[in-house]
Amino acid sequence: MASMDTISRNLMLDSLREYAKRRIPFDLIRELDEKNECPTAILKEMYDKDSLGVHLLMIPEEYGGVSGGTFDIYRICELLARIDLGIATGVFATFLGTDPLNQGGTTEQKEKWLKRIASENLLVAYGATEPDAGSDLVNMRTRAEHVVKNGKIAGYRITGNKQWISNGGIADMHTILAMAPGGPSWFIVETKMEGFSANKHEDKHGIRLSNTAGLSLDNVYVPAENLIGLEEGKGLLQAQAVFGYTRVMVAAFGLGCGLEALEHAIRYSQQRIQGGGPLSEKQGYTHKLLVPNYVRLEGARAYIEYTALKLDSGEHGLQTEGAIAKYGASEWGNKAADDAIQALGGYGFTKDFPVEKIKRDVKITCIYEGTSEVLEMTIYRGRWQEHLKSRGRYYLDMADQLDQLHANEPKVGAHASALGLRALAAILEECRVHKLTRHQHVTFTLGRLICAAETAWNFSIAAAAPKYSETIRFDREGWQAMARIFAREAALNTAAEGLALVLGAADSAGNLADAVNMEAIQIEQKGMIADMDLVSLKLKQTFKAK
Amino acid sequence: MNIVVCVKQVPDSTEVKINPETGHLIRAGVPSIINPYDHFALQSALELKKKHNFKVTIVSMGPPQAKSVVQMGMALGADEGVLLSDMAFAGSDTWSTSYALAKAVRKIGKIDLIFCGMQAIDGDTAQTGPGVAQQLGMPQVTFCEKVDVDGRRIIAHKQIDGGYEVVEARPPVLLTMIMHKDYVPRYPSFLSINASLKKPFHIWSASDIGAEAQFLGLKGSPTQVDRIYPPPQREKAAMFTGSGNEGMAKILEIMKAEHFLED
Repeated sequence: MASMDTISRNLMLDSLREYAKRRIPFDLIRELDEKNECPTAILKEMYDKDSLGVHLLMIPEEYGGVSGGTFDIYRICELLARIDLGIATGVFATFLGTDPLNQGGTTEQKEKWLKRIASENLLVAYGATEPDAGSDLVNMRTRAEHVVKNGKIAGYRITGNKQWISNGGIADMHTILAMAPGGPSWFIVETKMEGFSANKHEDKHGIRLSNTAGLSLDNVYVPAENLIGLEEGKGLLQAQAVFGYTRVMVAAFGLGCGLEALEHAIRYSQQRIQGGGPLSEKQGYTHKLLVPNYVRLEGARAYIEYTALKLDSGEHGLQTEGAIAKYGASEWGNKAADDAIQALGGYGFTKDFPVEKIKRDVKITCIYEGTSEVLEMTIYRGRWQEHLKSRGRYYLDMADQLDQLHANEPKVGAHASALGLRALAAILEECRVHKLTRHQHVTFTLGRLICAAETAWNFSIAAAAPKYSETIRFDREGWQAMARIFAREAALNTAAEGLALVLGAADSAGNLADAVNMEAIQIEQKGMIADMDLVSLKLKQTFKAK
Repeated sequence: MNIVVCVKQVPDSTEVKINPETGHLIRAGVPSIINPYDHFALQSALELKKKHNFKVTIVSMGPPQAKSVVQMGMALGADEGVLLSDMAFAGSDTWSTSYALAKAVRKIGKIDLIFCGMQAIDGDTAQTGPGVAQQLGMPQVTFCEKVDVDGRRIIAHKQIDGGYEVVEARPPVLLTMIMHKDYVPRYPSFLSINASLKKPFHIWSASDIGAEAQFLGLKGSPTQVDRIYPPPQREKAAMFTGSGNEGMAKILEIMKAEHFLED
């Protein structure tokens, strides 16, 4: 679905922000976190179409929703994460649970179920994961057996267990993946169905306001009309079709948590006097704990938006892009929250300040909807194919594109980004020649390097755009400095780590040291401190002490 | 009855700072909101609509992005929206703005009630609402906190020192609204925001409303702003804690030290 106009989207964000300010203050969140309690009544209120109706974003207008696009959903997810990632997960679970219907449901099924979800404010859960089947869904054990009446399949008997299901204990309906005789298939299972039960709410490290429970299905009878798409064996395709899209949502969670934690730290740093001046004036503090984290997350934001806009323009799949968006935003969001605790010192370590909770919450973004390691593999696999298909030209072409950009816009780090991509192309080629991808460690590390190098490529392009996205809170001078910092870091890491990786796995690395052009990348580091000084100033101006 | 509500988009005053060197407002990155008094005026009008099935048209003047406050008004329940947007309006003072708004009201047609906020939180002049009434030759009741309609009688609670007076009027009349103490601003649901896109919305230029260029913008504005400056910061108050006697002793000590009291 295409995204809405900016004004409508911003009005929705305003309404959500205002709702949270009034109904979900930090003291309440802290208390619920302490008690490990999911605020079901608040979730129900957020789903109430007359109050907010946040779940309507995922539902097409013809079924009573508001037809939100990926960009809209990313914006709402970022804000939800800034409010509380547990509550955000309660909303996300319905988004996710609705997906198999949106993707594979027949018109009649959508007419019936999407309309009910919209108008009855139904909480939905997405039941895919099992005790022995996470991202490798092929190992799932839940079975759906035919119930035949008068020679026709009248329904299914589903038996099995699901684990780590968000909203599992509070949802009104569930979309459950089960192995039918024709292959993996999605079924709509209502909580009230006989034989269905939810286990206890898990006692988790973070997102404690999100209900997470295992599900038991003991010979649950489901009518044949509840088989999504009325065709068996489409389940995995239906699940994979939306990974690009659902991973953008979790990317937005990592982004929102990381930025929220950092912004607390930036404000605090202007008030805390140490050694005769505020911490915000000290490079040893800002250039370690604040600036690099903010820069990485702005890079992640630009990549999320790039992927969201591609999806909104009708491109399908985008599994690699979704993986890059989520991997970068969640890993950098997690790192940012960790450094935000450090930046707040003792205060950061107490529960009186939100940063401690954010740090516990954000970790889940590196785990759910594809762990960071699964994503490293996904990114590697997607781009390795491109490298082979293009005979090594894939990243060289992108670098050429950046050379042109650099000629017109010399201040967006395009030259450094191009050096990073050329180094990456050289490393991939060396891995191919020496068959190094037989080492899993090599492939996963390549996934990580690709994520940073591609994010740098996109950041340079975004920073050169004549008009910035509505989400950018900095002027051109500030945002371009961020793009330069990102590009330098990505290029240096790509070259240094890539070289070390190949040296560690190959008998000889030939002239890879020359091919990655380390000397040029080192020269490109010039101006880094001045740029960090500038970004530090911009952060202080944008997030003033309260 | 037909109601017009005039609203203004303003920077969120809690985030606006003044550049001490230039005296200009620093608006970059500051979110825009509906002027809170206008929000109350809008809600007051929408309550009457709900009770009596009146038609409510929301009008604003500003750059294209001010459509946001008009759409928000429609999402909250207004039937129709109008945005006066034209470079010719840029720089208009309260007189010139009143002139343009009055022209827009005339174009909308027969109007029984006009609701305005008492003042905008950016300029704080409280002149635009009364100016519109004057331009339209319409009676006005200012500083209202509550308005009821009974047949053709408009009953307004107007705030005065130490209480309020009840004023009755016959339409057409313009009301400027203060904020009731129990007022809680409503925000629209996702569904109503989406539905507002289907309501009639018009962008009118100066020529659309038949406004004469000589009365618009900086050129048509008699007000000259000399300079804007932040008021000098007051010194911070000293706070003492402890029992009444301890506090009193500390205060006496300071008063003596500052020579307010003799030894």
